[in-house]
Amino acid sequence: MNNQAFKRCAGLISAVLLTSVVLSACNSGNKNSDDKVELRLGYYSSAQTDAKMQELVKKFESTHPNIKVKPESSPYGQFFQKLDTQIAAGNAPDVWLSDGVLVPKYAERGALKDLTASISKDLKHDDYYGLDFNKDKNGKYWGVPQGIQIGVLYYNKDMFDAAKVAYPTDSWTYDDLKAAAAKLTLDANGKYASDAAFDGKKVKQYGLTFFSVTEGWMPVIKAFGGDVLDASLTKSTVQSPENKKALDWIVDGMKRHLLPTPADLKSFQSNMAPFPSKAAAMRIGIYARTIDANNAGLNYDVTVLPKGPDGKRFSPVIANSWVINKKSEGKLGDAAWEWVKYWATDAEAQKEWASLGEAVPVKKSVANSADFLNGKPANKKAFLDSFAFAGTLDVNAVWSEWVGKFNDNINRAFNGETTVDAAIAGANKEVQEVLDGFYKK
Amino acid sequence: MEPADVIHPSPSSKTARPVRRKKLRSSDGKWGLLMVTPYLIHFVVFVLGSLLASLYYSFSEYDILNPPKWAGLQNYEKLFHEPIFWKSLGNTLYFAVLFVPLQTVFALMLATALNQRLKGLKLFRLAHFLPVISSWTVILYVADAFFNIRFGLANAFLVKLGLDPQRWLQDERLVIPLLVLIAIWKGIGYIMVIFLAGLQNVPSDVYEAAQIDGAGTWRKFINITVPLISGTTFLVVVLSTISTFQAFEQIYVMTGGALDATAAGGPNNSSLVLMIYLYREGFSFLRMGYASAIAWVLFIILFVLTVIQVRLQKKWVHYE
Repeated sequence: MNNQAFKRCAGLISAVLLTSVVLSACNSGNKNSDDKVELRLGYYSSAQTDAKMQELVKKFESTHPNIKVKPESSPYGQFFQKLDTQIAAGNAPDVWLSDGVLVPKYAERGALKDLTASISKDLKHDDYYGLDFNKDKNGKYWGVPQGIQIGVLYYNKDMFDAAKVAYPTDSWTYDDLKAAAAKLTLDANGKYASDAAFDGKKVKQYGLTFFSVTEGWMPVIKAFGGDVLDASLTKSTVQSPENKKALDWIVDGMKRHLLPTPADLKSFQSNMAPFPSKAAAMRIGIYARTIDANNAGLNYDVTVLPKGPDGKRFSPVIANSWVINKKSEGKLGDAAWEWVKYWATDAEAQKEWASLGEAVPVKKSVANSADFLNGKPANKKAFLDSFAFAGTLDVNAVWSEWVGKFNDNINRAFNGETTVDAAIAGANKEVQEVLDGFYKK
Repeated sequence: MEPADVIHPSPSSKTARPVRRKKLRSSDGKWGLLMVTPYLIHFVVFVLGSLLASLYYSFSEYDILNPPKWAGLQNYEKLFHEPIFWKSLGNTLYFAVLFVPLQTVFALMLATALNQRLKGLKLFRLAHFLPVISSWTVILYVADAFFNIRFGLANAFLVKLGLDPQRWLQDERLVIPLLVLIAIWKGIGYIMVIFLAGLQNVPSDVYEAAQIDGAGTWRKFINITVPLISGTTFLVVVLSTISTFQAFEQIYVMTGGALDATAAGGPNNSSLVLMIYLYREGFSFLRMGYASAIAWVLFIILFVLTVIQVRLQKKWVHYE
């Protein structure tokens, strides 16, 4: 083999390597040679929502000729896993859709741009629902809601009719809810829980289904006057008489088999399945749950969540939001804000997105119009009425971690493996450890 | 070769060797090096690079979103004081202690049974190998048909016998034994094939000789089969041990990680094994430095275990 062949071969290998390096470098370029800005837009989506988003991107581009949008979407789980590594590599999208509960995770770790000034300049506060759900304890805004999830009480009308129970009203307390649940919980032999012959080991239909945080213990705890974290979001307030009362209410319901325990829930295809699959008469549910209920063809409606013992109401909120990458400066940052502004202010964009039935629109004028209010469920207004007593889920930078610890402890009480007092003490200690691990450094 | 030969090579080899070596370096060596270059680059960038990076991260505070900060031994100190780490290590060992011996014994029994001249032998072998090629998600649905709390066969059976239904995978005491049972069911076909290969290498004349001496079936199995396939058994034990320490997918899928990543390892961390713990710390809770420390401790544990197994093999493994 001669020298010539060797050189040719070595040249080929270096050419391949060089090309790949050049290609990967091109990929990370953001600006075109002319004045057009290329904006990288990240979002999680399903096939249906992705198509709608692409449509809106086209419309945005036609009114903003100097901005070329490059959409980057993936399914929920992959989106956030990829996002973390993209941020690490300094290669994250300029603007992305964040799950509402994850906004502080990125904000407090310094990955997001502070939007306080832009919001006060361009958005009229009273025109929108939920801007304050992204406000931190220092009054800074880190995102603008893309769509809002807010909790109400769902009920299956057919099941209420069959049991001859009056439909829930906006004057219900949690005790009314439980009394109704007892009349709606049915065993395999067709006996209701209010009947002495009821067999709790063979529940066919639960009075109320109940799962984890948002659509489980959080609204109950808050309506009973309890809390998980204090106003600074760095101290656990789990050990309180209000929480004890709320959790006793839940545990009692589970002992009487009116609510499924976390273990019972695992026998369903998903934690969300009991209501749409007609195995539960009521649920605490966010707006997105209307999709499954509608697809299942349920005869159902919604109303505001019940009052606690002292008349307090609470509706849980998750404001999924557009956030802007801190590293997107100058023209890119401006273009990113243009997209956020377009989304919130453009009535047509809001209507288009509302037509998917995925979330409550951010713009009040659209949310209060027929575009949103028509269709199933009939009482959609309950979602809007709930804003009067809505709150976030004590969300902070280590939210998913402390929720995990809280669930580990509380679920043991729900499953009847320990007492409420022991569960509260354990949760209090472990939640505080998580908070200290991040905030006390 | 005597050590003296190395220090004072014989004159004949002295004249022959340098010529060949020179040739090898100037031409063949150059080509050899060129041909392995793509692999070397891959190795340096994707293997060695990541290894060194993770070693560095294990000594730093790293939340993925911001650059790592040197933190000395902090992660390792935290690890040794963290009860969840010890719990996950305990769970991993519990899993291994149940899984490795049981799978090895059952697979050997199965391989021995399917090493006979039976009718439909291929069908039996195929049936036992089928779970191996199925994905864990599929296995989850099969297992759910048995262990679903409300609709599963297992509880229906218990109720028929007048016993209390169980929570199975939702029960802190039952979850690991059940996961082991399911893992054996899925993995046994693969181990069986390895054992079958070992069994077919045992010379038949040894059995014939034993038969002439009046040995029974059991005697032949214990005194001939077991020692002669001990090399295979050793391989199986080492591979199974390593796979249990790396067990991730099964536990992640079966304990609900697909729906909620932080739920994997439940209930209440009772099936939290090291790999799930590592994943949760690194990717769900953004403590990549700490997660890297877990990875290195896991490596050290596996290394020590394998060294022990290799040492022990002198006592019971016979190679022909």
